[in-house]
Amino acid sequence: MNQAEAILMGLRIWGSIGAVVAAIFLTIGMDRIDEDARGAYIFRPLLIPGILVIWPLVLWRWYLYESGRELWARRYDPPRRAHFAVGWILPIGICLIILTGLSLRQTWPAEIAPVQLSGPAEVSQ
Amino acid sequence: MSVKYIPVQWNPNKYIYDAVMLLGVGLFLYVFLYASPGILSHERPINPQVHNARAFGACAFVMLTVILCIGPLARLDPRFLPLLYNRRHFGVMTVFVAITHAGYIVDWYFAFSSSNKYEALLFANTSYGQLAGFPFEVFGIFALFTLILLAATSHDFWMKFLSPPVWKRIHYLIYPAYLSVVAHVSFGILQDQQNHAFTMIFIGGAAAVGILQLIAALKERRADQELASEAVEWVPVCDVSEMKEGFAKIKLLANGERVAVYLNEGKLSAISNACAHQNGPLGEGQIIDCLVTCPWHGFQYDVTNGRSPAPFTEKIPTYNLKTEGTRVLVDPRANPPGTYVEPVPAGATS
Repeated sequence: MNQAEAILMGLRIWGSIGAVVAAIFLTIGMDRIDEDARGAYIFRPLLIPGILVIWPLVLWRWYLYESGRELWARRYDPPRRAHFAVGWILPIGICLIILTGLSLRQTWPAEIAPVQLSGPAEVSQ
Repeated sequence: MSVKYIPVQWNPNKYIYDAVMLLGVGLFLYVFLYASPGILSHERPINPQVHNARAFGACAFVMLTVILCIGPLARLDPRFLPLLYNRRHFGVMTVFVAITHAGYIVDWYFAFSSSNKYEALLFANTSYGQLAGFPFEVFGIFALFTLILLAATSHDFWMKFLSPPVWKRIHYLIYPAYLSVVAHVSFGILQDQQNHAFTMIFIGGAAAVGILQLIAALKERRADQELASEAVEWVPVCDVSEMKEGFAKIKLLANGERVAVYLNEGKLSAISNACAHQNGPLGEGQIIDCLVTCPWHGFQYDVTNGRSPAPFTEKIPTYNLKTEGTRVLVDPRANPPGTYVEPVPAGATS
């Protein structure tokens, strides 16, 4: 198995576990923890893709609700200070990336012989 | 604002928003595909798959750029708030456009591999040790996965289930995703761009996002410094004379929470500044009939008890107030969500 196959296999396993979590959570779990979900079924398939991706977080949050450890005060403390970090990191990052990209641009006469930049790929076709 | 969850909460305003958005996407693709071969350097022959891939890729970039401009614009000027109102649909539409771009790429450049086309995408270029010829596809893959995650967790259920702060932290991934898109373009198509119309659109769009985010962050930092208080008991908010009927004064407490203190029919009430839906800034909303409306998505709360009007069930914390002469003071210890607090007559001494 090459690395690409391993990555895709890992994703399939992750998604398969997520599918099991989705089946249990959408049929049993959400009715127990959210009164607004009781009697509402049509919207539930929309949640499946999200559960497939973040199923460990779904299980953790489900546990917090079931055990009564979900603290109400935490629900009203948005991470607004992060805006300031984003306000600096984003423009600096954008500038660095674009300048690096522009500095790499290669322009040469069309008739120049091509040069291979790196060795063969992991698996050749 | 939901009583029972439904798949998509549409209303006339959202229909208009979505119609304008779809029209914009259609117009962009039409111009890119049929009306501007000269401007965008498509006079060189390329096959329809590559042409479509570029059109949808450029469209996704422009949509993401607009989305990331809406947030800081709304923080800088409330007149842009209507654009924020249905940005979620904008984001979901962007994901579909980005997936279409990825689909055209994978089904053309990797479809003829003897291996699985997704495996081919991962191993076709593994030159991670050099900048020239760096596998820019990996930036696109990261951005696409992130956008899918954000769209998949955009239903109101997720905000309530994860709690707005956790949901918000996950959705901050939009910023690394945007940097990743910028890298995807910079190390990808920008390397081969001969006509610079698209280069200028790309750099201009990315610069607009960076500059607007920076200006909005600096403005918010200045505002926070004015609102902040280190007091631990009975935090002074303002003088009663500074308050305006139906509007709030916001105070930033030492623990990082924000309180919105309202003057309503000559009496003072205080609630959390964070809406139960997405933690929107309630203190920037106006009271009508004792209900304050969140400027982001229109959720409403009674300022005396922090509860949404029946049949809705959202609740936010309330705070105790007192006045000393004409000074308004707030107790920084929040009451549990939905707790009724008797409004304090403005100007009363205690």
